[in-house]
Parts: sequence; C-alpha cells; structure tokens
Amino acid sequence: MTAQYGSYGKELWKALCFSVIFVGTLIPHPVPPKGGKKSETTDARLARLAVRLADAKAKRARLAYAVSKRVKPWSFIKKMNERKICKRCVLPENKPDIWLNEEGICDICVEYEKTKNFNEDTKFLETDFIKILNQHKGKGEYDCLVMCSGGKDSTSSLYYMKKRYKLNPLAFTFDHGFETEEAMENVKNAVERLGVDFLLFKTDFMKDMFSKIVKTKSGAVICHPCSIWYMDLTFKVAARFNIPIIVAGWTKGQSTKQPVMSRCGCNVHQPEFASMAKAMGKFFDNHVKNDSKYKDFPRSMEEVLTRANKRHKCIVVSPHWFLPFGAETYVETIKKELNWKFPKLSYPAKSTNCYLNFISAYLSMKNYGYTHYHVEMSKMIRVGMLTREEALSMLEINFDEELIKDILKKLGCNPEDLNI
Amino acid sequence: MNILGISCFYHDSAACLLQDGKVIAAASEERFNREKYSQVFPINAINFCLQARDLTVYDVDYIGFYEKPFLKFSRVILSHLRSYPRSLNNFLGTTPSWLENRLIMPLVFKKELGFEGKTLFVKHHLSHVASSFLVSPFEEAAILTADGVGEWATMTYGIGKGSDIKVLKEIHYPDSLGLLYTAVTTYLGFKALSGEGKVMGLAGYGEPKFIDRFREMVMVKPDGSFRVDSKFFGFNEGSRMYSKRFVKVFGKERKPEDKIEERHQDIAASLQKFIEDTLVLIARNLHKETKLDNLCLAGGLFLNCVANSKILEETPFKEVFIQPATGDSGGALGVACYIYHSILKNQRSHVMTDAYLGPYFTGEQIKKALINHNLDFKELSDPDLAKYIARVLSQDKIIGWFQGRMEFGPRALGNRSILANPCNPNMKDLLNSRVKKREPFRPYAPVVLEEKAKEFFKLEHPSPFMLLSPRVREDKKNLIPSVTHIDGTARVQTVNKDTNLKLWQLIKEFENITTIPVIINTSFNLRGEPIVCTPEDAISSFKRSQIDYLVLENYVVEKRT
Repeated sequence: MTAQYGSYGKELWKALCFSVIFVGTLIPHPVPPKGGKKSETTDARLARLAVRLADAKAKRARLAYAVSKRVKPWSFIKKMNERKICKRCVLPENKPDIWLNEEGICDICVEYEKTKNFNEDTKFLETDFIKILNQHKGKGEYDCLVMCSGGKDSTSSLYYMKKRYKLNPLAFTFDHGFETEEAMENVKNAVERLGVDFLLFKTDFMKDMFSKIVKTKSGAVICHPCSIWYMDLTFKVAARFNIPIIVAGWTKGQSTKQPVMSRCGCNVHQPEFASMAKAMGKFFDNHVKNDSKYKDFPRSMEEVLTRANKRHKCIVVSPHWFLPFGAETYVETIKKELNWKFPKLSYPAKSTNCYLNFISAYLSMKNYGYTHYHVEMSKMIRVGMLTREEALSMLEINFDEELIKDILKKLGCNPEDLNI
Repeated sequence: MNILGISCFYHDSAACLLQDGKVIAAASEERFNREKYSQVFPINAINFCLQARDLTVYDVDYIGFYEKPFLKFSRVILSHLRSYPRSLNNFLGTTPSWLENRLIMPLVFKKELGFEGKTLFVKHHLSHVASSFLVSPFEEAAILTADGVGEWATMTYGIGKGSDIKVLKEIHYPDSLGLLYTAVTTYLGFKALSGEGKVMGLAGYGEPKFIDRFREMVMVKPDGSFRVDSKFFGFNEGSRMYSKRFVKVFGKERKPEDKIEERHQDIAASLQKFIEDTLVLIARNLHKETKLDNLCLAGGLFLNCVANSKILEETPFKEVFIQPATGDSGGALGVACYIYHSILKNQRSHVMTDAYLGPYFTGEQIKKALINHNLDFKELSDPDLAKYIARVLSQDKIIGWFQGRMEFGPRALGNRSILANPCNPNMKDLLNSRVKKREPFRPYAPVVLEEKAKEFFKLEHPSPFMLLSPRVREDKKNLIPSVTHIDGTARVQTVNKDTNLKLWQLIKEFENITTIPVIINTSFNLRGEPIVCTPEDAISSFKRSQIDYLVLENYVVEKRT
C-alpha cells in the first residue's frame, strides 16, 4: 500500500489538504432554487438570510449552554429512557447536537421546514438514472459493480440492474466475518437465479478494529469505519475490473442529494452525527493512527473518494433514489423472482444486517440514545415517505443482552467491556 | 408492443402509453410540474406513463411525436418572412427553441430519455383525427378537426373506416377559426390559450349584434371553406394578434383589469354565434359529402361545448364523439393510436369510455400524506362515505373530491373535482369567493346521473366528458339555479355506474336527500394553478382555500374552524 501512495508523510499532507478542500466545498447550505439559472427572488433571498441568522443564533445558544454547564459539549450524555423524543421525527434530545423546542420538535425538523422550499427540486426521475447509465455503461467487461449485502435494497438493486436496465453487473459481497447465513443465502440465490458473475471477499482484517472500538469504550460507531473500509474496498474492485458504475442499495432516507451521493450516501457532517463523528475522530487518533496494521486506513469517506478518484474514475448511484415506489413493491418482486427471504431477527425490523450491527445499535443507543437508523428514518418521515408510528415500531429494540454476549464472544471481547 | 406518444414544445405537453392497442396511461405535464399549460418536454408524464406498466424506455418500441417539426418550421419561417419586419421580434424569440429542440426531436429523445429506437412523426391534425376516431365506438365516421394551427392545416375533414383514416380536405394557415377566437380573446383582455373559455362564458350575456362584422372579416363560402381577411389580423406580428383596422371596427381593446362593458359581451356573443354558424355549416357539408351518421370531433376548438351542442342539434349527424383531451394534450394519444392502427395496421379494439388515465394513489399513500400533514381524518366505507358527503353537500358545504386515477384532458370529471350544492342560488358566489376566485360571469358545470339527464336537460346523448352544453329544461331551471348559465344552458357531465361508481353513488344519495340528481362539479384547483394530481397537491389546496371537506379516497378531513 505504501508503495502505491508514496511515502507516509507526503500522503498524510496530501490527504489533509484534499480533505480540507473537499470538506470546505461540501459544507451543506441551502440549495438555490432551480439549478441556479434563474435569478433569485427577493423573497427567497430574505428566507435564506433568515435561515442563516437562525443558524448563528442556534450556534450561540449551544455555546452558551455548554459554557454554563462547564462541560465540553460532546461529553453530554444522558440515559436514553429519560430522553424526550421529537414529536415529528424519532430523534431524541441529544444536546448539543439535537435540541427540542417548547413544542417538542427538534431543531433538525425545524430547520428542514425552513429550507424545504429550497430543496424541492431534488426529485429524481427514472429517466435521469437511465441517462446516467447510458453515459457510463459499456466501457468494460462489466457495466456496473453491485454492492450486494443480501438485504432487500441491495438485492433488488442487483435485480433491477440485470432485468430492468439490462446491464451486465458484477455482484460483489464483502464478509468481515460477521455476516449472517441468511444474508449469504439471499445473495447466493440472487446471483444464481440472475446468472450474474459474483465476487465474494472474505477477510478478518477489520476484526481487531471492531474489538478495539468495543474495548476502548470510545463511543465510536462500529458501522462508521466499516463503511469506510468497504467503500474503499469496492472502489479498489471497481478499479481492478475497470467498472465505471458502482451501484449501491441506498434508499432515499440514506441520501437524496447529489453532493451527498458523491460522498457515498452517508453525510457524517450533518448535526445528527456530530457527536458520533467526533468520537470516531478521537478513536482514529488514539487507536488507529499508531497501529501498523491500519496505518493506511482512510480516515474519512472523503479520503476514500480522493484516493478512489486518483485510481479510477467511476460513479456511485442507487436505483432507489430514482424509482417512485417504496420497499413494499420491490420486496414482493425479489421474493417472487429471487426467492429472497427476510431474516428472522434484525435491527431495525424489516432490514438485513450483519451480527455486529446489534452491537453497533446497542452501543449507539447507550451512548447517544439513537442510532444512524433513527437519523435515516427521521429523514424519511420529514419527506413523507414513512410515518412516525411505522418508524417507531421498526426501531423498537428487538434483541436482548444474551445475543449481544454471544456476538461479543465471537468478536473476542468480554461482556464486561460493555458493562453487561 | 409499447408505443409512447408525446406532445410538447407548444402548449399542453403530454405523454401517453399505448400497449398492444390499449391506452394504458396518459397525463399532461402541467399536473406534475405545476405549471399551467406547461410546454416543456413532458419528462414527468413520460416517467409516470412508463412506470404505470413497470416499463423502462428500453421496452418502448416506438416513440410518436404529434406533429411534423420541419413542415411546421417552414410555415413559421414563411409567415415570418411575409410579415417582415413586423415579425422580427417573434422570429428572434422563437427560432432558438426550434434549433435547440424542436427540429431535432430524435436527439432530444436520446438526450432526455436515453431512447435509441424509432421515432415517428405524424401531422398535427392527423394526430387530432386519430385521437378521436381511433378510440371512438364507431366503425365508420366522418371526422372534423379544428384548432389554432398545426403545421399548415387549421381545419381538416376526413373519413375514418376501421383503422384507416382518409383526409378529404384541409384549410391552411392563416385561415383559422381557432386563431380568430384567440385573437378576439386577447382583444377582450383575456389570456390566449386560457381565456377562450371565459369568452364563451361571457357570450351568454350579450347579443350577437356584431355578427355581420365578423362575416365581413371572414368570408365563408357555401361549401364551408372560409378565408380570414388578413387586414384585420396579424397572427405573427409581435405581441398583438389583431390589427389596427380590427380596433377601428370594434373600438378600443379591453385591458385585463378594465370593467367588462355591454359592448364586450356583444362582441363575445357575436364571435361565438359566428363560430357556431360556421361550424354547423361545415358539418352539414361534411355530412352531405360523407353521408355518414357518426361524427368525430377533435382539436382545441371543440373544447367549445356550446358549439359542440349546436353541431349535434343542427346537423343531420346522429352521434358525435369527442375525446376528453381534445386539445393538444390529446395529440400524444392520437399519434400513439395512429402508429399502432394506421401505420402498423392493427385492428382497433379499444374504445375510450372514460378519461381516468392518470396516476392513482393507494389508501396507504394517502394515509401517510394525511399523517405527515398533521390532519385529523376518518375512514368511511363506500356507502357511508356517499351518505355522509351527500348530507354535508346538501348543507351547502364545499367538498374537495379526490378519487382513483386522475383525468386526462382539461376537464375534472369526478376524480379531481370540487363538488357543491347546485340548488343553492348563492353557491356560485360562494364558490367564487371562497375557493375558485373566478370571474363572476363564468358558469359552474353540473354532473348528473346519466339515467336522469333527460329529465333536467335537453340532452339526447350522454355527455361523459363534459363537452356538450344543452339547455336546461324550463321547469327545472329554478331547481338548479347555480349551474344554469344566463343563456339557459349548462355544461353537463353525465355519469354512470360503470365509469365512476363512487360519484354515481354520491349523486344518488344526494338525490335521496334533495330529490335533485345533480351536483356542481368544478375542477379541483385554485386560481392560476393546474388541477391537483397527488394527495399532497390536494392537501395543499385544501389548506390554502376555504374548502370545507376534503375527501381522499375513503378518508374524510373536515376543515377545522
């Protein structure tokens, strides 16, 4: 790896410069109306100004709060069952990231309402997707690389790429040692029935990092470094086979906006993730940086993308951003066509995830009172794709400590590490 | 076989999907992009049509475009040259769009849709002809189309037999009854393309005192052909469609904000009468020539329901079929049908009995939208819903009625409608002040049970698409005062059990309460907006107006006071 990227110091400088520039260009601010071609109306300008003013006001309030309590903002953790939950979405109060106002509505929902009108033109059409596919397909042996975890979203993505868009996909699954048998069965069924080429990458590489996260009680979320790792891996595979399109199964709740898409779906810079991202940063600094095994490990998704861009140009898309129908429709299709099955137990309900996800969810709930699934579903509630009741029922904790203990054993940790 | 019909880049962009000769889906772009009479490429409508059958553009065999761009461009250039230099501004305004999009349609389809298959172009008026005849119940019929202008043709007569269409005669630009109507509409201070209906409504108030002057401006020959005197009009010359000489004859034009005088009403009445007389004459000649009993009408001019009724009453034709999207949006339907039946020689099997070809939303989706908008709602069964809504209707409440698939064409036919009580003489003012904010002279239309239509209206045939305007029977005028226009007519929609059961049940219940089988049906939109499409649109309109009850499928929301 070192040989590929040059000397370590040089690489670090480069990565630092690029990530500063990259992050700077991607800091979210209200999208100007309709592609920016039309001149902004006075009303819109005023509204934008109001949003900015409100931003500044909220920042000041947070700072004042932190000072008055004489604590650093991110050390502010309360027990989850004491927390009030926003009346519109499912996020609990988690100062200083998420605040509830007097009406019991979180500042993220309030913010969304304010900027809603600017974000209206983020509606994607299927024809847009086809345009993107036509632009890139046919450049190599495979038209696209489909990241296939065996869940409903990624399996249906694979189905759509092959059947609906008539492309030649390469299905790609990575197993860090904690994938469930049910998920693997689903992947196997899908690739066999669709007759697509299939690549399985199984490794123990990440196990040490995962167990470190648990043991150090750092507050970092396991899914975060995992997503950085698997995206890096996917880009490498795409480069290896010269594949121009990477297809993921991300849904509209995970991401809907173009700049976020290019960041592979997850935007850790949004306020909901602020505490988690900080803990992650700290964990990287204290435990990953000095570890010789992970010395080339990318620190952030931005870094993954910078590296990937140098290696090979490709785009990352998800058909679910462009299709009008919800999960019910495609679950029916893949059940029928690919013999796909829901796993017996998963968190949140109606999803498919690895075993470590239970630990990740457990830790997040304990440390922050919510998981990244809460953030995702809250977003879907705000755009009207999900009702709050549905989200709450899906997000109900459905696993017990026994299961957590079993998985901890597999990971080489003790229940004491989690104070169970 | 999947054929996608498209009309766009003039006004009323639309798309239509024809699968094995059956019309699967059709919708106007304006409903999706919320821009009235939108003329942009109908990308949303196309996506909707394809997804209605779970197709992608890879499954489409042909795309049909509703006119021949080069032929039309030659007409535009030639007529600009003729009226140079007054046409210079118009020329500079329109030519870039021709070069960018309109002359390179196959490239546009490739760019916008990724479509690389065959694109076929059908003449504008042939699309209109096909949109009516090929979905009509007639095996053989005379066909008459008229609108502003297509490529060159402004009016076409023809005969349809089986799946063949034969054009007998065309009248060419600049002799156009549609453009004449539009010119006078703009002269009377209304907007082109949207104000024609207002002129028709205004006509009821006036006397046709100026009909002779129109006869001087348009020479009508005994065979029905006509010639518009270009001295009075300038269809290509800048912002105005009429000339100084026209103003000399009729006096100063009306500005949009000016008061409507008696003179304006008389001009509107004269124009309406002149158009009716001319169309009746043409239709009579067409009957003489074809000796057929059935007539199919199409083109924007036949949205004029008063004239349609005159044709039905005063000509020997026994049956008339007018397709609901008779304007340019129907061109998308027409071109798809023409390709399948007339070019590919397939038998006709599809008869258009209803206009419900747009998107629909499931109860779950509606419930989600209601919850997301924090509205209190209740769910009722079909019979309870009809009873409940009929009762509140009879109490003079205004209902936003959203059911099933959206209508194709400009009329709301009971799936995206605002309903009200026709028995209350003040209902028109109430609707105007609380919801629609229309000009006071425009009438509201009734929807009536098909089996009871004859009792209330002088109507021999059903009028399922609200395109006929028969007289209200003298003894019934007092019973339904708010739908009877000043001239004693009403733009009737008839409804039967097969095409719209829910609306039929509702009117039946309303009849049980009031003994009147008629209710007011006006389009579910607010002033200046297109008709609602999604539950979100309906909820938004409901919130911004004083509609009392919103009914989305079986969910009822009451306005909180």
